[in-house]
Amino acid sequence: MELRGYDAIVTLQSSASQLASSQDRRIKSAEEPRLDWWSIAAIAPAIVILVGFLLLFFYGVYQSLTDLRFGRPLVHFIGLNNYAALIKTEDFWNSIRATLVYSGSAVLAEAAFGLALAKLFATEVFLARVMRPVILLPLVLPPMSVALMWTTMMDPQNGIMNYLLSLVGIGRFAWISDPVTAMFSLVLIDVWTYTPFFALIIFAGLQGINEEVREAARVNGAKGLATFLHIEQPLIAPYILIAAVFRLIESLNQFDIIFGTTQGGPGNSTSVLSVRAYITAFQNLAFGRGAALMVVNWLIVLVGTFAMVKLWRFVRQRVS
Amino acid sequence: MRVNRSTPANLILNLLVGVCAFILAFPLIWILMMSLKQQAEVMTWPPTFLFSPTLENFRVLFDVAQAGATSYGTIKVDFLTPITNSVVIALGSVIVSLLVGVPAGYVLARRDIPLKEDIAFFILGFRFAPVLLVVIPLFSVFQTIGLYDTYLGMIWVYQVVTLPMIVWLSRSYIEDIPKDIEEAAAMDGAKPVRVVLHIVLPLLKPGLIGASLLIFLLAWHNFALGLMLSSTKAPVTVALLKLLNPGVQFYPVMAAGLVVTMIIPVILIVIGQRHLERGLTFGAVK
Repeated sequence: MELRGYDAIVTLQSSASQLASSQDRRIKSAEEPRLDWWSIAAIAPAIVILVGFLLLFFYGVYQSLTDLRFGRPLVHFIGLNNYAALIKTEDFWNSIRATLVYSGSAVLAEAAFGLALAKLFATEVFLARVMRPVILLPLVLPPMSVALMWTTMMDPQNGIMNYLLSLVGIGRFAWISDPVTAMFSLVLIDVWTYTPFFALIIFAGLQGINEEVREAARVNGAKGLATFLHIEQPLIAPYILIAAVFRLIESLNQFDIIFGTTQGGPGNSTSVLSVRAYITAFQNLAFGRGAALMVVNWLIVLVGTFAMVKLWRFVRQRVS
Repeated sequence: MRVNRSTPANLILNLLVGVCAFILAFPLIWILMMSLKQQAEVMTWPPTFLFSPTLENFRVLFDVAQAGATSYGTIKVDFLTPITNSVVIALGSVIVSLLVGVPAGYVLARRDIPLKEDIAFFILGFRFAPVLLVVIPLFSVFQTIGLYDTYLGMIWVYQVVTLPMIVWLSRSYIEDIPKDIEEAAAMDGAKPVRVVLHIVLPLLKPGLIGASLLIFLLAWHNFALGLMLSSTKAPVTVALLKLLNPGVQFYPVMAAGLVVTMIIPVILIVIGQRHLERGLTFGAVK
């Protein structure tokens, strides 16, 4: 139990920071720091494929500086004109707002519900042990299937969701077909799908907490809530944050769920950057402009990730 | 952590867990029920929970010869082709990723090469690549070199999703194998290649099967790449969206399509729950 928790923490650290834990291993094998041909041959194909994608990425950034349109042979380098044109439009700022609202509220809600779900399943009551695989269910479904599943369930005419609401006396709710409620509905779908992700990671964190620490707290007279606030919370906070980093990146890039339900509508209410970029590039055929939108999206992801990782380092230092 | 609780507390906790599990499972149960209903039964208000099940919707999905002749008007669906596409692309991606990724994972776990951690981090970074930013230039490149709408092109482009995952997972599984075993074999004079083939690979097999399940799932999930880089070779997720014709809503047929795309992941949970948990949480759960 103790050992498993330790392992989990090491893996978590290794997947986010640059593997502080491997330093002792490096010292041990310091006698043979050589580059042999076998290793190169083994790692080269993977590197070549991935560098290929990296080049495409840079090509995409370059395209955002051109006036490339599909089906037009002449391409001009126009510098930052695409970006300059974008920031003048109301739609662009609306997309940025939609992207931030969507991922911000989804990640916050998922963290809160995920913590509750993890605590609940960590009680290890009978049903918690039996129902454990159910947590995985939303995570393994294709996001597109999830999107369409909820589209049918949220049908304002005869969807099951409105029926369930009518049972508790709430009248017809428009869900994704009304600009006012569309964003809320999308966040709800995201929360249903990815709360289990937080729950699984926080669950691993809870299992890693040494039983003796809890026992000591109890002997010293700490009650349930106090144990949670002063003992558990500082220890699982890094887990919550690392899960939040992963989810923030993915939800800022979210395309499937939004494209499968509203395609950015009704009106402009849910047109996040990735959906707007798709429509600009593949429906309006303005590839340069679409690429520029994706570069902006990528910059937001980058800034968000750096902020979260900084916060995570801070929280982890507080523990150790 | 087993704590002694009073019976009422236990009951309440069980009840709460039951409610959560119900919220997570109910949409799937509802869609399964819907896929077994007639169109008229789906359109009624209030929704019906009792009905006589029919397999008509699944017949409409797969019966290409009969397409157009359904009990609720004309609908032309060819669902078998996209499913075949998805299976071919996902299996192809898994095979290519295993061949290319596992050796890389081994080197990153065991050999002391320069910039090792930087390479590992670079590879993990692709898990969060803005896929659309790669696809926009890829579209022009694929059109030029003739890879647009081919299995080969699709399998290659799916590597952006599956390859980083398999490198990362196989590395973590190899690090779980005690190094002593390899060193002992090397002491006895076995060549490095023989050590890997006869000692590491057999020990790695369960982990690799789990990792393959996971990346098959990731490939099966993908929608954006198929939407933009293929038409006749489009995966099943793209075909699903086409079932939702604006105006004419054949919800039960779409529900049947959803059941088909969701049944495979659900089977995979039953086969490899632990492995999926580990993979989906990037190794936080062991």
